[in-house]
Amino acid sequence: MIDAALIDKINNVLAEEFEVDIQKITPEAPLMDTLDLDSLDLVDMVVLIEHNFGFTVVAKDFIGIKSFNDFYHFINNRINEKGAPK
Amino acid sequence: MKKEPQNEWSGKSRGGASGYLIFVFIIRRAGLGAAYALLSLVALYFIPFAPRATASAWQFSRHILKKGKFASALFVYRNFLNLGISLIDKTAASAGEDKKFTFEFDEPENVSEILAGNSGAVIIGAHFGNWEVGAPYFGKYGKKMRVVMMDAEYQSIKKVLQAQNRLDAFSPIPITDDSFSHIFEIRDSLGRGEYVAMQGDRLTPNGKSSEIIFMGKPALFPLGPFVLAARFGYPVIFYFAVRKGLRKYRFHFSLYEPLKRDSGVKPETDILNAYTAYLETVVAKSPEQWYNFYKFWL
Repeated sequence: MIDAALIDKINNVLAEEFEVDIQKITPEAPLMDTLDLDSLDLVDMVVLIEHNFGFTVVAKDFIGIKSFNDFYHFINNRINEKGAPK
Repeated sequence: MKKEPQNEWSGKSRGGASGYLIFVFIIRRAGLGAAYALLSLVALYFIPFAPRATASAWQFSRHILKKGKFASALFVYRNFLNLGISLIDKTAASAGEDKKFTFEFDEPENVSEILAGNSGAVIIGAHFGNWEVGAPYFGKYGKKMRVVMMDAEYQSIKKVLQAQNRLDAFSPIPITDDSFSHIFEIRDSLGRGEYVAMQGDRLTPNGKSSEIIFMGKPALFPLGPFVLAARFGYPVIFYFAVRKGLRKYRFHFSLYEPLKRDSGVKPETDILNAYTAYLETVVAKSPEQWYNFYKFWL
């Protein structure tokens, strides 16, 4: 079970960074298409995760992340693994 | 048939590894003078047999530099000749003959301090002059230079290095079409205090771009190098090496100084603007040393 506060934080950070209507961010929505991400936006995503969630990502972390729900689980798991601040 | 985009570079350079190795052989057996002599003929050959590059250099001379037809014909030849000389000199310098060259430095104190420190740095150059001839210079600071380049370009260089048993001498970060791994490699490399070198003047397939007035006319510049430089927060240095005469080069460095906050300009746009302004000054002084052989201006 993922903390609702963490999901809210993720949604707010993503909506602000990628200038997307937060209403469009739903657990089943496709991450890349909804945020309209390309390879350069991925740089922003990498920096955003490091600054907001306190851990470093590597290329393989993004494999398998299709929806926002996948992304929530990825962030949640990494925070729990590393004990990083929420 | 897939139409090739006009305003971008394909990632492949003209002149294969075999041609390059012929010059390596001549430099070793007959010396630099013989290599230059052969080059004077090869440069002529490229004028009819590399029509896209010839057209691009011709357009640059006629429409940007406003030269006449005869002067433009000479410009095209000198442009190809200079490119060849830069390749020969780079090969010779990296093969241990660097003592035959004279290097001068235009290195402000703030750049020296950055290079001598422990931080990584983003070095943005251009397809101008002969930036690689100065690569060994960065080694004096005891740091590794990682060069970001298209994978197709790297594969070509790799063949030459393998033939010379010098694969270890070069440490690229290749960009492939189907992977974002270079982004992480760049970040990690900077984190280790290394220098990451990128070229900021060539649009690549599917790359984002920004329209800039360059030498009086609109042209597209790639956004990638500038976004990477802006986001990772390391010092950004512009670097160009200009050939000033026979076996003589001058290295120009400039530390990027950000605009004040709240200026309303995106950081990557600010770096790009500073870069193109600096590039414009060096290209204007030595236009025959700029090697962007595709339809650059819109």
